[in-house]
Formats: sequence, C-alpha cells, structure tokens
Amino acid sequence: MELKKDRLLEALALLREGSDVALPLPADDGGEPAFRLWDGVQEPFLGSNTSLPPKELLFPRSEGMYGYNLKTGELSDILPEARTAVFGIRPCDVKSIENLDHAFLEKGYVDSYYRARRDGLTTIALGCSEAARTCFCDSMGVAPGDAPGADLMMNDLGDAYSVKANTEKGEAVAKLWEGLLSKGGAKAPAAPACGFSVKADDSLPDRLTARFDDPMWDSLSKACIGCGCCSFICPTCYCFDIGRENRGACGTAFRCWDSCMFSDYSRMAGGHNPRPSKKERLRNRYLHKLAYFSQRYGATLCVGCGRCIDKCPANLDITRVMDMMEGVDANG
Amino acid sequence: MSDRQEKMRQSAEKLLRDGEVGYVIGWGATRFCDRTTPVFIDSPEGAASLVWNEHAVNSLAKYLLDDKYPDKKIGLFARGCESRAVNRMIKDNQVKRESLYLIGVPCDGKSSDRCRLCRERNPLVYDVLLWEPEANAAPADRFERVRGVEAMSPDERYRYWGGVYDRCIRCYACRNACPVCSCRECYVDMGRTGFQGKQHSRSDNQIFGVTRAFHVGDRCIECGECERACPMGLPIMGQTQKMLKEINELSGEYECGLDADSDSFLGRFDLDDKDEFM
Amino acid sequence: MARPGGAAAAAKRPVAEAGPGAAREGNPLLPAMCRVIKITDETPDVKTFRIQTADGAKPFDPMPGQLAMLSAMGVGEAMFSVTAKGEDWIESSIKRVGLLTEALHGLSEGDMIGVRGPYGNHFPVDAIKGRDLLFVGGGIGLAPVRSLIRYALERREDYGSLDVLYGSRSYDDLVFKSDIFENWPAVCNTHITIDNAEERWDGHVGFVPSYLEEKAFSPENRVVVLCGPPIMIKFCLESLMRMGFSKENVITTLEMRMKCGVGKCGRCNIGSKYVCLDGPVFTMSELDGLPDEK
Repeated sequence: MELKKDRLLEALALLREGSDVALPLPADDGGEPAFRLWDGVQEPFLGSNTSLPPKELLFPRSEGMYGYNLKTGELSDILPEARTAVFGIRPCDVKSIENLDHAFLEKGYVDSYYRARRDGLTTIALGCSEAARTCFCDSMGVAPGDAPGADLMMNDLGDAYSVKANTEKGEAVAKLWEGLLSKGGAKAPAAPACGFSVKADDSLPDRLTARFDDPMWDSLSKACIGCGCCSFICPTCYCFDIGRENRGACGTAFRCWDSCMFSDYSRMAGGHNPRPSKKERLRNRYLHKLAYFSQRYGATLCVGCGRCIDKCPANLDITRVMDMMEGVDANG
Repeated sequence: MSDRQEKMRQSAEKLLRDGEVGYVIGWGATRFCDRTTPVFIDSPEGAASLVWNEHAVNSLAKYLLDDKYPDKKIGLFARGCESRAVNRMIKDNQVKRESLYLIGVPCDGKSSDRCRLCRERNPLVYDVLLWEPEANAAPADRFERVRGVEAMSPDERYRYWGGVYDRCIRCYACRNACPVCSCRECYVDMGRTGFQGKQHSRSDNQIFGVTRAFHVGDRCIECGECERACPMGLPIMGQTQKMLKEINELSGEYECGLDADSDSFLGRFDLDDKDEFM
Repeated sequence: MARPGGAAAAAKRPVAEAGPGAAREGNPLLPAMCRVIKITDETPDVKTFRIQTADGAKPFDPMPGQLAMLSAMGVGEAMFSVTAKGEDWIESSIKRVGLLTEALHGLSEGDMIGVRGPYGNHFPVDAIKGRDLLFVGGGIGLAPVRSLIRYALERREDYGSLDVLYGSRSYDDLVFKSDIFENWPAVCNTHITIDNAEERWDGHVGFVPSYLEEKAFSPENRVVVLCGPPIMIKFCLESLMRMGFSKENVITTLEMRMKCGVGKCGRCNIGSKYVCLDGPVFTMSELDGLPDEK
C-alpha cells in the first residue's frame, strides 16, 4: 500500500484523534530538531534525522515516580498514562527502542514507568533515503531502509510513501488510514550507503574487554572534556538517577537522565569512586555500548546513528576504538 | 597554511626531541576533513600528526587543568584565545607559567561561529612565535546581543531565557569547555549538598545557568567555547557577557585575560573601601 | 584438599528467587512504608534498625546476603545488606557516612521508613553444606556476614565447624557485641581482635589479616566468607592464599553506588555484571574474571 505525500498531514491528523502524535520537528527558535508532540499544523522535519533521539517518548528527561507525604507517610504511585504514535522514526532509532526494551523490561524486573509508555507507543518508521556522513548504522546491524521492529514501516517513493504493517499496532494504523491509502506497486529505492563503515562483528565485545587495561584508553580519553553530551543525545543511553523534591509536607520522587561521564555518578557515600577519572568513565561508556550490553543482552548498544560523533564538543569518535581493534584478537 | 602546519610540526618535534616538554597539546585529524580534535603528542614522531587549518577550532587551554603539576613542561599551541585563557588561569592560580611552553601561533581565522567576537588573534603571552602576527579583524559589536536581550520587556526576557533553559539538556558541556571554569569539584557534582536540583526542569536548569554565569562572568574571556560546545546551540555566552557589560558600565573598560596580573572584578578588594557594609 | 567447584558453582546461580512480598509484581521502584520497631546502638556511628510492615509483618523474606533498599522519606534511598531476619522483622545495620545515613540515624523507634527488596543474589547456602565455615569480618563488614552466621546456626547440623574471626579499630567499634561476646561463643568459635591495645581490652590485639594467619586455619574442606574494608580484604586474601586456600573457596560481598537496585539505572556495573542483581555475593575467583573497577 502507499500513502500519497500530500495526504500525510491528513493521515497524521487521523492518528491524533486517538492519541498524541510525536514527529520530528524542526529547530524552534534556535534549538535543535527533535521529536516533539505535534500541534496538528506543523510540517514534519524529514530532511535528516533529529539531533535529539526519540528516547524521551519512553524515558523522559525527568519523570515523577511517586508522591509522598512526610507527615502521614502515605505514598502514591505516579504511573504515566501515555498513548503516543510516533511518525518519522528512523531504523537506527527503532533499533534503539529494542535496546531500551532489553534494559527496562528484562532480567527479572519490569520497569513500570517504561512499560506503561512502551505499551502506549506505536512506531511508524520512515526508511532513510539519504545518509548523513556520520551514519554508520549498517555496520551495527541496522538496515537504513528497513526497520523490522517498527509497528508500521514507510519508505519514500518520491511522491508517496510505501506503507507496510509489521505488527497488530501497525495494522490498526493501516486500517485507520484505509481511506487514504492506495494500492502501490512501486518498490522502495535501494537504501543509501552509510557515511562510512566500521568493523563490529560478534567477536568485538570479547576483543574489547580483553583490552580493558590497554593504554589505548588513556589516549582515547585525553581529549574528552567529561561532559554528558554523548550520553544525553544517544538514543540508547538509559542511565538514570533517582532524586526527591520536597515542598512543605509533600514531596515527589523523580528520576532523571544521568550520565556515566559525570564524576558524581558512581561515587559512593564514603567518597570512594571506582571510576575516578575521565579515562575510567569513557572506557566504561564505550565498553557498555560495544561490549558489556552485548555480553548481557546479546545486542550491541550502539546503533550507528552517529549523533555523538556529530555533537561531541571535542570531536571524539566512538568508532575510532572499533578501528583500533581491527585485526586485534581477544588473546593478543 | 601547510607551511604553517609544517612549522608547528617541526617546533613540536624539536621540543619533544630536546626533552623541553613532556607533551604538546595541538590539533589532529578526525574522520572528517572539516573537523579536528585536540591531540596530545608525546613523541617526536607523533608531531607529524599535528594539523593546522581553518577547522582547528577547539580552544586547547582547558586541558591544562587535567595536569596541573606536570613532571615536565607542557607544550601548548597558543592563539589569542588560548593565551587569554592561560593568563586568566595563571592569575587564578590554576596553572604556573613555568610549567608551560607556549608555542605562539597567530590565528588566521577559523570556521567557527565562536570566533565572531574575537578581538585578539595573536597570542599575548608565548615562549616562541612561529610566524608573524596577524592583523586583527575589525572588532564586532561586542555587546550587540546583550543589548538585544536588554531591550526586551521583562516578560519577553523571561520567555527568552525560559525557552533557552527548557532546551538545555544539562550535559554541562558549557562548564567543561570553559577555560576559566576551574573549581576542582563543581557544586553541580556535589549531589549530596542539594545545591543543584537534578531534575531536568526549567527551574533547575535555570539555576544551573545562572550559577554558571555568575561564577565565571567576571573572568569570562569571551572565547565562545561554551556556545560552541553546547549541543543544543544555546546562546549562553550572552549571560556572562551581560555581566561583563555591567562591569564595563560600572568601572570602565574591562576585558579578561589580557595579562596575568589583573584581578578579576569580583576578586578585587580594598582595605580602605569606603563602603561600610563590607 | 577442598572440594573443587562447590561454592563457585553455587554463587553462579543467576538472580535469586524473590521471597514473598518482593516487588516482582507491581512497581519495583516503589517502596513500601514500614515501621522501625527497634533501634540498637552498636558503635558510636553504627545503629541497627529492626523493621516491620505497618501491619506487623516481615517486609520480605530475604536469603542471607541479600539487600534491602531503605529510604528516609524526602531525603534519599540507599542499599544495605539485611543482617538478620526474624518471624516478623528484618534488620539492617547502618554506619553513618553521608546525608541519608545521617537521616536514618535520626529516626526514632516507631518512625516510618521506606523499604523495597530483597535484591541481589545470596550466599550459596546449599553449595557450602557440609563444609567448615570461616567467617572473617572487619568493622561494619560483619553486617552482611551475620545473616549467614545466623542462617548456619539455625541449621547447625548442615554445616561443619563454624569460626568467626572479627576485628575492628577499637573496642567501641566492634558491632553486634551481644552476638560476638555472648550468643556466638556458646555455639561456635569466635576470635575477636582490635587494632590497638586498650586498657579495658584483654583480648587479642592486631590486624585481622595477621590474626587470620596466626590462627592457621586449614583450607581442608573449609569455605571462607570475607567482608570488610577493601584494604582488609586485600591483605586477608593474600594471607588466605599463603595459607593454601583457593579463590573458589573465598566468598565476599561487593559494594557499589546504587539507585534502582534492579539492574536498570546503570551505575553499579563491574563489566557486564550489575552488583545489585548479579551480586553482591561473589567468589574471589569470579571477581578475577571481572574488570578491576571496584
């Protein structure tokens, strides 16, 4: 099936009758392109991927967890009730959601806040027809033109989008759009080649962890300024802190994004910090992305979106460590 | 350009070969030809990887704080902005002049918006100057943007800064890139004090922004690194510049980092101060 | 010779099965409000808190070595080992080191406290059946070990000889004094030491590692459970190696900063392991397989 491009806003308006709709929207006075809730009017920003990832839809920068009353000791859950359809999400970012699912929903504990938002989320992906120079998703097991994990997959055919449902949620969207869709035979053009490629095969995690004590971590981390930019614009970085805000007798426990690059992150109450300098912190972040997560969940945590390469104030590049590992085996 | 790059490589190579410095901080290549990254060269052979072109944008001075007590001198390529940062750091007791070997490299203009307010392309302090000084560009209107914000009504202005801090993702790149932001431990990282709320909310974000601006405002060398580093493109140097503008209006011409002797405005005191409230 | 495998195999068990009342169902990050029913001053800076649900029941049923996330409402939350449990209570012993522990120390009997858990794995109680057990603790490090000592004493016939070797900086800093001086000497071997001589102390004086070597425990069929400050662990381990113990038979618990307790928030990882979920109990040989970042 296909959806003519000039009917896209109509299609999105239909979605908006039953849920919030999030779209990639252009920079609003001086900001950066990001997924935001659609007001029903704005044109989506589809020229390239957004600077900020869509993870906020599932894992907000800050969210209340429960309220409490200091006098009575009463607690009340603040579980989100979100129904959101996101359109225009790219295959790398769809993959990132699969990774967040591993982290928040597996290994014995289900995160209630994530679960509620995830159940209410419908993903309508748009295959890439152009790659940015920082894109390397096809090296990380993502097909730039296809997102099998999306509920509904769309591809740019020129004057129309192909529409293919992958899941029940996707079929529900296709049904909602029935009147707007037409039979389309056109095949999506071949997906673009990524900006560059790196070698990240199944042996990378073990080869990397074998290099835990390698001096390369010193040289890789020297230029790092220790900010949290890479963590916060990464679609798969999911670390959080839990804090409290009190107002009079009432208070709210909240959680918010946190970064393993910050000194406070792993520092213990007595002052000891197992990762005392940016070398240990950068190593931990790279290894989490490229080794630890794979060892734990069987999926690499880097999806090759290239955002961190684009935005790092020191122009650090996580793929450099993959290049350095070429031809290095786990024992050598 | 390549001639200058060659001079830089030769200079670094010689300093390292002679054992004059432990390492040299300069710029090196990345995957992309229009971007460089700071590099730390510790062998004469490594000097060949130094790069000098219009994309050698990052200010290098901040890295001196990672190594305050070096065994050997640190070689630092210094343009006008690095030298002003070094002056400020020396006065703030962050680095010692004798720990540094400053390789002066007059700046021929870079491809970054951070340089738009540059008033000094030539290093103000150096041990060696690799080529002739450059003519400074006609100074841009230093406080143009500040005046624009001042002209807003209070409501407009709150909307403006509120909007800025709604978009702030609290990555602290501005803090970490700033060469005069030099506390050994930032109040932000003292989680247990509760000074800085950790929520990503307009109010907590604004608290961070305002605290940062006040903390470095009277020492700001206007290098623009904070805005260059900001992944959200926020106009945050406007805040430190607002302080500089106020200081200029209160006490006459004031600019930071031009020498290593001047006190910062808020660091000055006088025992004979006639204001009794002190 | 010590039996190969035993303890190591057991500690590899994945996440421990949650006991009744555990937050497996529902929101794992939501604490339950419980009541502090008894507070014992152990040392000048350690207090033991006995905790019960508001309706008089045990908050959950932890295995020895498991953890509880305790919160002072409006202040914060942190992870502590559960040092003992009874019919209708659990206990944690808490040293005052920061903001939250300061607030907890300010509580009075009857006050409310947030509780969630139990978290983490536990001491390999089945795999060490039939073995001689040597418990080595330093300072507040006796707290996690105590849960296993109590467990073994309750099932005395399941285990061989029981030795508790415990030391602290001073007499005042010895925790669980009624256990180490009254309850335990009656049913197992206790060896108590303090770092420096004091007038009122006529027991052993010296550091734990040297006392350990002095006692010359045989590695034959013996498992060591070792908890204390990192420097003590380091030197005790060296002593134990000299004494012929193998790392498979030395068990310890780790501490890292934690926020969620359920393997999500990220900060307590050592390599691909999360101390809150895969720990806190590890054998020394397991730790050898993890990055040196503790």
